[in-house]
Amino acid sequence: MSRYVIGRIGQAALVLWAAFTVSFVLLQALPGDAILIKFLNPELGLGPEQIAEIRASYAADSPLWMQYFTTATNFLTGHFGYSIHAGVPVGDLLLANLPPTLWLATLGFLLSLVLAVTLAALSALSPFSWLRSFIQSIPALFISTPVFWLGILLIQVFSFQLRLIPVINPGPWEALILPVVTLAVPISAPLAQILMRNIDHVLTEPFVAVARAKGASHRWVLSKHVAKNAVLPTLTIGGILFGELLAGAVVTEAVFGLNGIGGLTQRSVGDQDIAVLQAIVVFSATAFVLINLTVDLLYPVFDPRLRVRQGALA
Amino acid sequence: MAAGPEGAPAKGGTLVYLEQQPHTNLYPPAGGFYPNGGILNQITDKLTYQNPKTLEIEPWIAESWTVNADATEYTFKIRKGVTFSDGTPLDAAAVAKNYDTFGRGNKELKLPISEVINNYERSEVIDPQTVKFTFRKPSPGFLQGTSVIGSGLVSLKTLALPYEALGDATKIIGSGPFVVASETLGRELTLKARPDYNWGPTKLEHQGRAYLDEIKYIVTPEDSVRIGALVAGQADVIRQIQAYDEKQVEDEGYLIYTPSTRGVNNSVVFRPDNPLVSDVRVRRGLLHATNTDEIVSTLFSAHYPKASSIIARTALGYVDLSSKLSYDIEKATQLLDDAGWKVGANGRRQKDGRTLELSAYESLPQPQNKETLQLVAQQWEKIGVKLNVLTADSGSAIVNNLDPAKAPVSPAMVGRADPDVIKSQYYPTNRNVLLQKGGNSDKVQSFVDERLNALLDQLASEPDRAKRLAVAGDVQNYVIDQAYAIPIFEEPQAFAAAPYVKGVAFEAVGRPSFYSTWLAPRR
Repeated sequence: MSRYVIGRIGQAALVLWAAFTVSFVLLQALPGDAILIKFLNPELGLGPEQIAEIRASYAADSPLWMQYFTTATNFLTGHFGYSIHAGVPVGDLLLANLPPTLWLATLGFLLSLVLAVTLAALSALSPFSWLRSFIQSIPALFISTPVFWLGILLIQVFSFQLRLIPVINPGPWEALILPVVTLAVPISAPLAQILMRNIDHVLTEPFVAVARAKGASHRWVLSKHVAKNAVLPTLTIGGILFGELLAGAVVTEAVFGLNGIGGLTQRSVGDQDIAVLQAIVVFSATAFVLINLTVDLLYPVFDPRLRVRQGALA
Repeated sequence: MAAGPEGAPAKGGTLVYLEQQPHTNLYPPAGGFYPNGGILNQITDKLTYQNPKTLEIEPWIAESWTVNADATEYTFKIRKGVTFSDGTPLDAAAVAKNYDTFGRGNKELKLPISEVINNYERSEVIDPQTVKFTFRKPSPGFLQGTSVIGSGLVSLKTLALPYEALGDATKIIGSGPFVVASETLGRELTLKARPDYNWGPTKLEHQGRAYLDEIKYIVTPEDSVRIGALVAGQADVIRQIQAYDEKQVEDEGYLIYTPSTRGVNNSVVFRPDNPLVSDVRVRRGLLHATNTDEIVSTLFSAHYPKASSIIARTALGYVDLSSKLSYDIEKATQLLDDAGWKVGANGRRQKDGRTLELSAYESLPQPQNKETLQLVAQQWEKIGVKLNVLTADSGSAIVNNLDPAKAPVSPAMVGRADPDVIKSQYYPTNRNVLLQKGGNSDKVQSFVDERLNALLDQLASEPDRAKRLAVAGDVQNYVIDQAYAIPIFEEPQAFAAAPYVKGVAFEAVGRPSFYSTWLAPRR
């Protein structure tokens, strides 16, 4: 078991290093850079000598390997540098933008779980096959709903027409309701699909037939035998969906004008604000790695078969 | 704008202002970016005030001033009793330090120099209320330069900070009617009125503190959400509303404000270093093939007047050149034929085996720029010229737009209510929109127009006002005769406000000023 954990953690560190390096190389390979975009921008009207001076003061033209090692060392010591575009330390930007995104993502994920489980349960319990196939087609509708459209629709209806929730100057909880719904709908779709398919699959397993033969009701079989088995692959997908959450947050935050990593990423990509992007990539990679690590470590807890195999290997 | 028929201005209240983009670095010379200017204009004061109606320069922090005959020495008498919001005095020494920084930059702190201050040499504090500035060459545009957003005066504490720290609005300490109370980076900014403010522009009817208690800036990038929130009563003023949304807002009884930016018009410029457009006949042909009437009526509204020179008719030194800007397809065809570009088998004009195919990169800050360029492309198509309208990430767009081979055509505009703006736009060591050699592009082979540059130099250094405006006219004529630019429309800044928001004012180039704004009771 401990070898399994150490191996996983080693892999995680490797992934983080690779994410840092690859993003560094890719960001450097882009034409232009933040200094160019910021200072060649006509709004400042600077001459070529002044821009050259600025480049020199930011050491923007020093050799790449040197920049790589400086950046890597700074990251390891927790110094993320300055956003050239916004004119503030990257740390401050992350601090202002991380908590709202974490709230949005967490609540969005929880709501999408609720939606997915509800849909799956409804489909498994529905007495008619036409109702079943109707419910099973809902995730396809959810996943093909464009997030920005849903967001604007919800704002138009609930904020501007019915005037139930203000978008501008809302309270801390009010601010989250519509964005969380917007984010949860498309995320719930793959979860629901996988859950439904697994339930159908597990229902055909011999042990279900055995349980039924012993006189167990449909409901009892579902909750005691099927649910636990069907949840495993969903766990894996849940880890992967974190990426979807971040992607959804970009649009949701833009539509609702929320502060967050999504909006920050979008702006920083536009401005090629490399220091910010580098920090976001490392942060996202860390989150990804941690979630997947958690999922991997949770597997044996949910599935005794995996536990046994680990024991045998050790 | 005073209270007028609406009665006495009501005091107090919070104005909710929706901004499209978050502000960036708030170093005052970077105030040209609209979100920055919208904030800096409330929290900083300027030495002088440019009356937005007459464009005359009036006293503000400077009570009076003298300029020597060749415009190389400016002496300002500073008003007494003015303080920054950190309590330090705004006296001659503070003004001197501000201008030394804006005029020369500060390398250690990475503060760049200001675009509006040319040939700055030094300052001299004569007494606590008198400061003198000396210039290496005549700088007749300097007086107006002291009135612009980019010349907002800030406390010595702010000037001591490095450039990288000035994106935090709470660090910008000015002497203006409002003070930054709090900020959530990239999302929200709260300004509070300064109760002891008593040094607004002298000739303004409103004196004393601002009427509003508070202004809340909220970044709301989505157009439909800004408009919806305004109409639903969740916001009071919004910035950036596209021409096609104007009707929807006006139908609901809300007001559109479109102050002019009074500078170089929204235009398409050529890069004559590229051999395809090095012949003046080709450029003139394309100028006459461009139907600006169609562009303005199809894409814009009455708030976007058709251009009749390279600068707006409300700009200083404007001359009407409409007669040289006619839409004339026959003339256009003739000019291109004369230049040797004949229509080939594929319907495109060709010469020596080359096709007249040009490219331009969309400029994101300009209203509906992509649509404008696409319409221009359709119009040019009629005379057999292809214009590719390209979109790219900011990095590639900036790099490629500096290469005349990749971007022989480019959109351009800049706002400032002084003829110096023309120099800013065309001079090789300034914005260099035509991409002359010796400027910000190392891709240029040989193109230099000495005549244009001499005129621009003269424009920036002619101390006599009448002569200077005459030079401004010469430059406009020259640029159009050479067909370096095709002016399209006079670009406004578009805002919308609720009807109960009174006294909304704008400085000379369209940044809002909320000093005299007040909220009438909502009906």
